[in-house]
Amino acid sequence: MAQRILICDDAIFMRTMIADILSGAGYEIAGEAASGLQAVERYKTVKPDLVTMDIVMPDMGGIDAVKAIIALDPNAKILMCSAMGQQALVVEAIQSGAKDFVVKPFQPARVLEAVQRVLGG
Amino acid sequence: MTDARRARYVALFASEARPLLTGARRALSQWQDDPTQPDGAEEIFRALHTIKGMAASLEFTAAADLAHATETTLSTVRRGDQVATAAWLRAFEVALDDISAACERAIADAGGALTPADQHAVPQGPRIVRVDLDRLDALLSDLGSLITARQELERRAAADRFSPTARAALQMSHRLDTLQDRILDVRLAPLSEVFERIPPMVRDLGRALGKDVAVDVTGNPLEVDRAILDQLAEPLLHLLRNAVDHGIEFADVRRAAGKRPGGRIAVAARQDGEAVIIEITDDGRGIDRDVVARRAREMGILEDDATLTDDGLLAVLERPGFSMADTVTDVSGRGVGLDVVVARMRDIGASLSLTTVLGRGTVFSLKLPTRLGIVRALVTGIGDERYVMPLTHVIELVAWQPDLVGQQDGRAVLFVRGEALPIVDLRRLLLYRGAEPPARRPAVVFEANGQRVALLTDSVHGQVDAVIQPIERPAGLARWITGATVLDDGRPALLMDLASVV
Repeated sequence: MAQRILICDDAIFMRTMIADILSGAGYEIAGEAASGLQAVERYKTVKPDLVTMDIVMPDMGGIDAVKAIIALDPNAKILMCSAMGQQALVVEAIQSGAKDFVVKPFQPARVLEAVQRVLGG
Repeated sequence: MTDARRARYVALFASEARPLLTGARRALSQWQDDPTQPDGAEEIFRALHTIKGMAASLEFTAAADLAHATETTLSTVRRGDQVATAAWLRAFEVALDDISAACERAIADAGGALTPADQHAVPQGPRIVRVDLDRLDALLSDLGSLITARQELERRAAADRFSPTARAALQMSHRLDTLQDRILDVRLAPLSEVFERIPPMVRDLGRALGKDVAVDVTGNPLEVDRAILDQLAEPLLHLLRNAVDHGIEFADVRRAAGKRPGGRIAVAARQDGEAVIIEITDDGRGIDRDVVARRAREMGILEDDATLTDDGLLAVLERPGFSMADTVTDVSGRGVGLDVVVARMRDIGASLSLTTVLGRGTVFSLKLPTRLGIVRALVTGIGDERYVMPLTHVIELVAWQPDLVGQQDGRAVLFVRGEALPIVDLRRLLLYRGAEPPARRPAVVFEANGQRVALLTDSVHGQVDAVIQPIERPAGLARWITGATVLDDGRPALLMDLASVV
């Protein structure tokens, strides 16, 4: 069965792009969230195999959402999506329990590589 | 990314970026009403951040860079490093307008935020204007001067990155990049202009020689710069004449060798990134590397007894003056006038490689740049003459001092931090007989073909983005001179191919 992914980003543009990359590689898009709060709520209901998480979002940022999701499920697999120049935030996210990160603008091969790595590990 | 998918992303970009910018402007105006209440800063920051990410994904570089620069400036206020004065907020408002304009331009350039269906709604054939190449050359030369002027502007603007001047410079810079791309695009011409001459040429020559030769040409629609295409015809047709004349055997010879009686030649072009590769394949007799090696040893070009590799074979065949006397060409396949072909290829920045199997045939592969180069280059001088060299090979400049020069294995060397670099004197290379050299001469340390060399010049005059023009090649011109450019003071300069100096 295809592995299920929850995509969290406040921009429809970015969610569409990530969804295109992942569904093109055979993953199932289990749900989408446009804010940190939504991400936590959706995580509870869809129970995805992996979450992609933007850092800068309204109503709870990506890092707080990582902390909340890890508190719910210590085994949650979360991949951070950061822009250039956010190294410090990426480090904080990883310390909070995120497994890996990719940098925008996305290169499909990089995204898929990271998703496979996180799902495999 | 497919066109349809890209059009969808552009539409999404338009529908998200516009409201984000409107929201950011509204938040900014509240902030301007009460500068002590920066509640809107957070919303503006998120908007800029999102726009940056989307624009970068679509390679809308100007919009992405502006959004990034503005986001960075906003961070200084959010961190408390900078106070949001009324003047600062006004400057910020202008920055938001600039981003908005850059986004709209990018959306328009990408064909507008149309759905793919809309794009197919208005079918229209190309509308053509014929333009003299001299006029396009003049345009390119003006562009070169603009690029030189831009460097000065960028240098001055770097002092204060958030000044209106710096932002204007950044915008101008991006427009200039676009202009450069468009001018270079206008100069593109399809390979078919040269390729369509191939089948009749091969047929006529085959008939004249009494050979049955079929030719198959692919890659006609690929485009290269007009100046490159003009220089390509002669060497390409030369290689084909050689293939028909010396490569393809007569029918009886082919039959005896168990081949089809009719010979075949394929000319196939394909895109390889920014380059076009043209392969000319024949199923003729191939080049006899032993015969070539023997001849090379007789002429003193080759010393060891090792079998020639394909590269080694080409290195021998392309030597000016390497003659394959009549008797030799008949058994060796091809190789007449390859020095001329290779020289022409160098002039347009192309390279040549060769694969041959005795009795089976030969493949010549040409790798052409598709667009004329604008090269970041170092300007050096010998007397009043100017020579430019691409910075890709240059490592550093060293002030020459007598105690840094020594001898090693009978060669003059320059000691740079303990490393002994062979010295090449540009005066000697040029056989320069003008004014005496200055007392202290700078050395350009460069690396090519895995070797570091110190090139002695008389003077160094900084860097330029040089628009390189191919040059006519009079007899006797050094092979390491591969192009020419005009400097910002109107002086001509010759481009050196450092790899061929080593």
